[in-house]
Amino acid sequence: MAELKIDNVYKSFGEEHILKGISLDVTDGEFIILVGPSGCGKSTLLNCIAGLEDVTTGDIILGDTNVTYEAPKDRDIAMVFQSYALYPNMNVRKNIAFGLEIRKMPKAEIAEEVARVAKLLQIEPLLDRKPSQLSGGQRQRVAMGRALARRPKIYLFDEPLSNLDAKLRVEMRTEMKKLHQRLGTTIVYVTHDQIEAMTLADRIAVMKGGIVQQFGTPQEVYDDPANMFVAGFMGSPSMNFLRCEVTRHENDYAVQIESQGTVFQLPVDPKQADLSNYVGKTVVLGIRPEQITHVMPHLVSEQFITQVPVKIEVTEPTGADTLILARINDQECECRVHPQEAGKVGDTMDLLFNMSKAVFFDEQTEARL
Amino acid sequence: MAKSKNPSYASINGRAVLYAVLIIVAAYYLLPLILMIMTSFRSMDEIRMGQLIEWPKSFSLDAWSMAWSEVQIGAREDRGLRPYFINSILMVIPSVAISTTLGALNGYVLSFWKFRGSELFFGALLIGCFLPFQAILLPQSQLLGWLGLSGSLPGLILTHVVYGVSFTTLFFRNYYVNLPHELVKAAKLDGAGFWVIFFRIILPLSAPILVVTVIWQFTQIWNDFLFGVVFSDPSSQPVTVGLNNMVNSSTGEKQYNVDMAGAIIAALPTIVVYVVAGKYFVRGLTAGSVKG
Repeated sequence: MAELKIDNVYKSFGEEHILKGISLDVTDGEFIILVGPSGCGKSTLLNCIAGLEDVTTGDIILGDTNVTYEAPKDRDIAMVFQSYALYPNMNVRKNIAFGLEIRKMPKAEIAEEVARVAKLLQIEPLLDRKPSQLSGGQRQRVAMGRALARRPKIYLFDEPLSNLDAKLRVEMRTEMKKLHQRLGTTIVYVTHDQIEAMTLADRIAVMKGGIVQQFGTPQEVYDDPANMFVAGFMGSPSMNFLRCEVTRHENDYAVQIESQGTVFQLPVDPKQADLSNYVGKTVVLGIRPEQITHVMPHLVSEQFITQVPVKIEVTEPTGADTLILARINDQECECRVHPQEAGKVGDTMDLLFNMSKAVFFDEQTEARL
Repeated sequence: MAKSKNPSYASINGRAVLYAVLIIVAAYYLLPLILMIMTSFRSMDEIRMGQLIEWPKSFSLDAWSMAWSEVQIGAREDRGLRPYFINSILMVIPSVAISTTLGALNGYVLSFWKFRGSELFFGALLIGCFLPFQAILLPQSQLLGWLGLSGSLPGLILTHVVYGVSFTTLFFRNYYVNLPHELVKAAKLDGAGFWVIFFRIILPLSAPILVVTVIWQFTQIWNDFLFGVVFSDPSSQPVTVGLNNMVNSSTGEKQYNVDMAGAIIAALPTIVVYVVAGKYFVRGLTAGSVKG
């Protein structure tokens, strides 16, 4: 176990710049998730940490050692791959023992270690099977077992769950979280699945275009996104972005929205943004679907809540909630209402816009205001 | 289901046609071999009195022992094809072993340990696959002369190894690029180095392509006549050259039965290799699609 410091890392393949100055400080025992769309450099960064790719400039410091120029085998890192990368010619026991054998651990200790890991991951009955005789979930466990056996300083996971079917993925996700809580190891985990990121991480690094857009706890990233990309990437269904004009409203400011020909003023919580320089201009209002709900009488009178009638264009029942697609400012806007309150397509329905968690972005730079 | 009342009937008809065609084609290819075998069991008297193509009236293995160890080929003391056959074996085993080993190592490096210019290197190596034998005769004989290997078995082996490496590299490289690269990454993180990864991870997965390469190289080298006749002297001539000298001998009576037996003897090892490893050959050729 150790802390990991990534200091201003650049990685280029010829003229193609994959990582453009990544800096992350990971504390001991933290579960860090690198998340982003494909091509954002997250897997490259992971490979750089592992030493499978050389960084162009910058430093990678593991514990007290600068490992930037050390070979993968000298870094004391274990990695779980997307394809599991189990050695097909060896049985499960040999797969787990391979790394220990290479490191010349005595036979008796290897057997002990394999037994410990097998018990931990409940793969004891599988030890004599070949990888081809295992199901996807079992292979996943073995791959994790192989990583756990060496007790390395840090664990890297490269989209380990993406080859599993949906149900198994949710199960393994929970299991992985339990495992981390029990072992308290430092983990860097790459995924493109923002739900995985939200549920597993202590802190999330949202990446795009080789740059870390935001590095924070799941709740910070969700409630307090640094820019429109982070806001849109995290959360499902994703945040609504409505272009609207800023006006003065009593002593503060409001944004104007239009629904079915009527204009409404949505007062802006001054804690969320200072829009004094934007009066009369257009900003992007970011509001999550769950902040637009059916009318709940106890909320109607709250300060930053406004009741707006909208026309329902599409309904999407998810069971727990029903998602309603409405048209605001001639833009699509998704709202989350209780299934029993949801109207029919074509109906007009009153919705509550809760602005206390709304965020605002500059239309041009897409930066947070 | 609705199209035909008896769908199994239609499929039987299709099968029948298929098998008929297969039997005809198989017979077409087998007939020369059958004829050779039959002739080799007949005596010269019988052939002289009767037709060239005829059922044997008597059965004798005399022609086989003649061809193997008694017939006079050229002016050498050792009689029969046996010394040539031994030369071929002494040539083919090291040639196949060395060229296959080099091919496996080349393929491993070109797939998993790419270096600057490795693609270019591979491309240059591939040109070797398109070079006709005839094109390298002169430069190769010059080289063998410089090395002092002219007319010797090591010279022949060197020639076959160099010529074969292009093919073996191509085979192994194309097989290895289809293996998941994460295997090698995982092994690197497990602490394994170049050779450990090769011997413990990659080589055990190479059985299908190993069989393909060995069969390919064995057949090529065993059946080669041109290198054998150009780069050898009487003490190192392979069996193909021996057979040629025996059959084309212009003195004395043409002994058809001995010629046929000799030809079969010369072809026997390749037949054995195909029969023993043939099913792996087909499997290996399609092995690229197998998942890890």
